[in-house]
Amino acid sequence: MHKENPAPVLSGVVGFFDDPESLTEAAAKVRDSSYKQFDCFTPYAVHGLEHAQGLPRSKVPYVTGVFAFTGTATAFAWQYAASATWWPHIIGGKPMNSLPAFVPIIFELSVLFGGIATFFGMLAFNRLPNLKKRAFDPSITNNRFAIMIDNPNAEIDDEEEHVSFSPEQAEQFLKSVGAKDVRKVYNEGWFS
Amino acid sequence: MPDPISTVTWDNHLNIGPAHAADLGIQSNDVVLLKGAQGSFEIPVKVQPGIAKGAVTLALGYGRTAAGSVGNQVGQNAYVFAGLKGDSGLAYHGAEVTISTTGKKYQLAETQLHHKILGRPILNEISYEEYKKNPKASMETEPAVKMDKVPTLWSEPFDYSKSPHRWMLAVDLNSCTGCGACVVACQAENNTPVVGRDRVRQSREMHWMRIDRYYMGDENNPTVAFQPMMCQHCENAPCETVCPVVATSHSEDGLNQMTYSRCVGTRYCQNNCPYKTRRFNFFDHWKDVKDTKNMVWNPDVTVRSRGIMEKCTFCVQRINEAKGKAKDKKTAIKDGELKTACQQTCPTDAIIFGNVNDPASGIHQWIKNDRAFRSMEVLNTRPAVHYLTKVRNAEGEAVEGGKEHGHS
Amino acid sequence: MATANQETLKPINDVLVTGGRTFAEVNEDVARPLENFPTGKWWVCFIAAMAAFFMGAVLLLQTFKNGVGLWGLNQPVGWGNDVTTFVFWVGIGHAGTLISAILFLFRQKWRTGINRSAEAMTIFAVMTAGMVIMTHTGRTWLAAIWLFPYPNQRQLWPNFRSPLEWDVFAVSTYFTISLIFWYTGLVPDLASIRDRAKNKIRKFFLTILSLGWRGSNKQWVHYEQAYLIFAGLSTPLVLSVHSVVSFDFAVSQLPGWHTTIFPPYFVAGAIFSGFAMVVTLLVLAREAFNLKHYITMDHLEKMNKIIMTTGMLVGYAYAVEFFIAWYSGSTFERATFINRAFGDYWWAYWIMVSCNVFIPQLFWVKKFRRSIPVMFVVSLYVNIGMYFERFVIIVTSLHHDFLPSSWANYIPSWVELGMFTGWIGFFFIWFLLFVRFLPSIAMGEVKSVMDQPRKGASHA
Repeated sequence: MHKENPAPVLSGVVGFFDDPESLTEAAAKVRDSSYKQFDCFTPYAVHGLEHAQGLPRSKVPYVTGVFAFTGTATAFAWQYAASATWWPHIIGGKPMNSLPAFVPIIFELSVLFGGIATFFGMLAFNRLPNLKKRAFDPSITNNRFAIMIDNPNAEIDDEEEHVSFSPEQAEQFLKSVGAKDVRKVYNEGWFS
Repeated sequence: MPDPISTVTWDNHLNIGPAHAADLGIQSNDVVLLKGAQGSFEIPVKVQPGIAKGAVTLALGYGRTAAGSVGNQVGQNAYVFAGLKGDSGLAYHGAEVTISTTGKKYQLAETQLHHKILGRPILNEISYEEYKKNPKASMETEPAVKMDKVPTLWSEPFDYSKSPHRWMLAVDLNSCTGCGACVVACQAENNTPVVGRDRVRQSREMHWMRIDRYYMGDENNPTVAFQPMMCQHCENAPCETVCPVVATSHSEDGLNQMTYSRCVGTRYCQNNCPYKTRRFNFFDHWKDVKDTKNMVWNPDVTVRSRGIMEKCTFCVQRINEAKGKAKDKKTAIKDGELKTACQQTCPTDAIIFGNVNDPASGIHQWIKNDRAFRSMEVLNTRPAVHYLTKVRNAEGEAVEGGKEHGHS
Repeated sequence: MATANQETLKPINDVLVTGGRTFAEVNEDVARPLENFPTGKWWVCFIAAMAAFFMGAVLLLQTFKNGVGLWGLNQPVGWGNDVTTFVFWVGIGHAGTLISAILFLFRQKWRTGINRSAEAMTIFAVMTAGMVIMTHTGRTWLAAIWLFPYPNQRQLWPNFRSPLEWDVFAVSTYFTISLIFWYTGLVPDLASIRDRAKNKIRKFFLTILSLGWRGSNKQWVHYEQAYLIFAGLSTPLVLSVHSVVSFDFAVSQLPGWHTTIFPPYFVAGAIFSGFAMVVTLLVLAREAFNLKHYITMDHLEKMNKIIMTTGMLVGYAYAVEFFIAWYSGSTFERATFINRAFGDYWWAYWIMVSCNVFIPQLFWVKKFRRSIPVMFVVSLYVNIGMYFERFVIIVTSLHHDFLPSSWANYIPSWVELGMFTGWIGFFFIWFLLFVRFLPSIAMGEVKSVMDQPRKGASHA
């Protein structure tokens, strides 16, 4: 007895480019068009592309800053507590709150907290690890660039909420801004 | 125990004066054939400052054959050369001998390899004339051996004058003969292991207390100074700050404490001690003490395993015992009731130990003495161990006062 | 727009990637060693490294069983080959972070050909250093836990004032941040390898390790920001870590150790020895894996210039130490330095000076800077010289310190020398595994700085 496969969900339409300049120009055009949900794919970070795509600045530095200062405060409080409150000793005639001696660890812990927070913050902002959306073409991580216009209905399950989206029109639009090998892309996870 | 003058352990050796050795072309640790009418044997040489040219000396009591593992095959039997003086016993000198080189070498197990003070503010001496003229002069020899309180950048963590006890120890360098009884007493009291000839050769002897012996003046007729050196229990102990696990800290009665069970053996404290009084257990020496030999341990003192640092504790076990007894009797510890092992054994009473906060104690007077100084005070370690300046009375004795003003 | 062939177009930055490579060729060149079975040469090196490590491990276990007495340490020399090796390896690690972080902040594009291998070298060197310092203690099985401040029932804490405790934090932080930085850089490259992978198992692991990276620009934005932050954090970190290591000596009392020049002197020395190790490793790697278009002669020349510069900084520090010892008038300080140059360890001192100060001067000559045999030999000598520098600092200051009555000499025992070799083996095991399984060149970053495809050009 067959199990009925559900119809694959359209994830979007994609068009390829061979050089970063064309990609950047095309991205600017897509940004200025009515298609609001789109993304560019590149083998490396292309300068100026975030402006062409209209992306805001990343908030990762705020995460870093908050956690780095947390690290500073933690290191100071913890060393002070351990050395002066919980387990005080007369050590070499130094005062219990030996602030100059605490400085190296305060610095190191600030960097440690800031660094770890930056890493996990970046992963969180990037929604990584990503297991749901498979890479649609191996040439992206090799030598080609792409723009994908997202299907806004891909994430919305309820049919009532769907907006109108024509994959064919999107494909035409991509061709008009200079993309090659324009095609549809379907939702696929990494391990399905 | 290291010989007080030669600091050699485990073997005897032929002592030759420097001029004589230079003539013969021999150095310390060369093995020579000692030959006389009565017999001959091979023996290592030690160049000993102060021996007259043409004379050689050799310690008796070695070369035993029925003394067990400690005495057998250690050194050579010098009685071979001791003749009879008619009815009046043995002639300890006068045997004619010849020395010939063999080309062999034998490393003597010395605990001290360098003998000069080199102008460092380690100990202080003054001649009797100067002392008579001005007793305070001993404090003004160069480099300064007594520092006024040095301004500090931070507040003192603890005021020791408020404690019920503040333990200090003082050594009178005039009374000290360098006999080494204190070294043996300390070793017996504190379960310090005997490490053997090979370890001493590697400079790994475990004595918590040592007698440093310095030569001054002409090599062929030197003046000798002894300085018993043990943990100085510094107020500003350099060792305490650098231990990463708080295995060493300072007690409120002025002792530098050593916590064996916390020590992980980084050896940073030993490196940072300017007096090098800390000893590291490189091996499990306690394992060599088997069966009933265990009875030699003092049950009041821990036996340390390897990987752990140890040092003089001012006989803290005796301090605690005295405190306990005084508490039971509800009295204070009387001066003289509590003696450290070294103090107890010293034949000349050169060592005094006690509570400096007790105005009636002997140590309290000694600290106030004009002659009291601390070793290497320029480092501002503020040791609790004081020494009394040696006053030299004999004519022609060189006086070491330090020639350079040294700061570190 | 006229079509132009990439090959005949005037290159913008040909110094960075030679041979007119395209992006596809970059992937191909870098991935090829990973996708083919390891060659005989690799196996020979790997087995040698394993053998060395095995010998070192056996000797280490003997030390655990019998005691530190198997080494040559004594009173007064409590540290010898053990801490020398520790500082040696931590120092080597610093070049990787400098290349990754500091050259990034200075916008030196040539770093892209070498930063992946250099960072890997850093991580493995710091791992080795961490192992060495843990095992130098008398009771390693306790030191490994008690040096870390974890809450416990006995309410014990370490002594935060001790430089060794600062070391624990500095080296742990350095290792963690370097690892994170390196891994972040690896993610897009792992995605490249994943997309080429034919082997199912390899593809599975790469998918997980690459976190499902797809090259989306929304992700690149956060990624680049994080990368910049890592570079900004790592720069003061690398300067602080070796400063903290130098505090092990500078914060102590000994003449010859207690000097404020140590932090900058040690950092310069670390960069010096680290770059020398990078040159040694990359000269071999570019030959073995045919990466000469990416690790070009210009890259090597620039590294040699850095080696020479830091070597001169180190030489300056030597001279200043002597000057200050004399100028200070301190009996102890003067005696220590005269002893360093002319005492029992004079031979170690002069090896150090020849290898660190005289030999790198060869790089004034352009021909030598660009000669593979010369730079390989010089880089080996520099590392020998830097080992002896730490040996001289540690041992000469300890063996002749304040009280002449406690002076004694130190000779490393065979056990120590065997363990030193074992740690070298340990490092090389990791590095050889790295070049076998991970891309040794940052493909994504190289693509961003090499000749970009031109608009309208035909793609190869």
